Amino acid sequence: MLLARALRAAAAALRPPLRHPPRRLLSSSSSSSSPRALLPPPGAAPPLARSLWQLGGGGWRTALLRPRRGSAGGVSCGCGGLHTEGDKAFAQFLSDEIKEEKKIQKHKSLPKVSGGWELEVHGTEAKLVRKVAGEKITVTFNINNSIPPSVEDETQEEQKPDEQEPDLTSTPNFVVEVIKDDTKQTLVLDCHYPEDEVGHEGEEESDIFTIREVSFQPTGESDWKDTNYTLNTDSLDWALYDHLMDFLADRGVDNTFADELIELSTALEHQEYIKFLEDLKSFVKCQ
Amino acid sequence: MSVVLRNAQRAVPVRRAPLRRALCALRAALGASRFDVGLVCAGNGLMRRLNGAYRQRPEPTDVLSFPFHRVAAGELPRPSCRDEYNLGDIFLGVEYIHQQCRATGEDFDSVLAVTAAHGLCHLLGYRHNTKPEWQQMYQKELEILEELNRLTGASLRPLTAGLF
Repeated sequence: MLLARALRAAAAALRPPLRHPPRRLLSSSSSSSSPRALLPPPGAAPPLARSLWQLGGGGWRTALLRPRRGSAGGVSCGCGGLHTEGDKAFAQFLSDEIKEEKKIQKHKSLPKVSGGWELEVHGTEAKLVRKVAGEKITVTFNINNSIPPSVEDETQEEQKPDEQEPDLTSTPNFVVEVIKDDTKQTLVLDCHYPEDEVGHEGEEESDIFTIREVSFQPTGESDWKDTNYTLNTDSLDWALYDHLMDFLADRGVDNTFADELIELSTALEHQEYIKFLEDLKSFVKCQ
Repeated sequence: MSVVLRNAQRAVPVRRAPLRRALCALRAALGASRFDVGLVCAGNGLMRRLNGAYRQRPEPTDVLSFPFHRVAAGELPRPSCRDEYNLGDIFLGVEYIHQQCRATGEDFDSVLAVTAAHGLCHLLGYRHNTKPEWQQMYQKELEILEELNRLTGASLRPLTAGLF
């Protein structure tokens, strides 16, 4: 739009004013938002502009309405954005990319997690909730930054060019909250997937997920209380750690759950990625 | 002195705390509490892969032991540094064991403990390729399981019962 406005300003400087010129055509100042203020006084006409007008055969109005094709290929769509050949190529690339991503999309709708978990999704954050006896268990995770970087190893170097790349897997950290009906404290467990082992084919020899930190937090308060003790499992007694894992397993957070959470998170991440590409295409293309 | 326990499978629910307790008690009964040992609960896929790679039998099995030291049966390793206080790793084919228990009606947790005892004995050089070897191993399994039974009130019997 800026380019078109500049072209009109240049043309206005060369032609004579009309009695009832269209408001837009007489916006000689590119920064002015009030065409009325820019109307030149009647009769004031530079001689050069008249001769140019005469040479143009009176067709100048149509020419100005039609966008001029410069090296940047400007388009006057009135959206207030810049349109370049690069944008056009970018939008086309995004169209193709969206098509391909939808083709390989494994789950058109989000997969369910077994065990009676209810799912709530708010953008990139998902929450699984389950009630068992007098307890409420909540598992929360965010798919942002949840795809670990792929590790370069000998296997990948030997991969043939026509072989498919391994699927991207989302392995987000997840927070388990256990609330008992008769207490005002929530037991919060921060859980992680091992960084180097998930995503490889075949079974690995490690725990599918680990507990990293454990803390009590006041129930119902959204702010994290820093002054509450946080147990770090790095140097924790192994027997205590196993009891914590068994505690989670009894509440449905076990290896099966952890595997299914990966499926859910991967599907949600892919969904959000496609949505982002679509938004980006709309933003770049300006329909 | 650590028992490093990993549950690398999702086919079968495994109670970690009682399995760790059993393994610690069995290790103590062998006089090897000073030594680290690793225990991995594995599914059929992993057991098949390991069995194929190390025994040329690509099929699931109940237990595979990978000793850190090569010792004669009944001897404890003689480590020369802290890093050598390691008995090795036991891979428990929990999925395979669970399938067997469903077929035979045996208690899964009991068979897990008995199989872990068998794997521990392998780490300390016990074998059952010949009858004398089996007899020696059977005796040791009996001894350490009796200690575990005394602590837990269980009635566990060696895995190699009736092998010869």
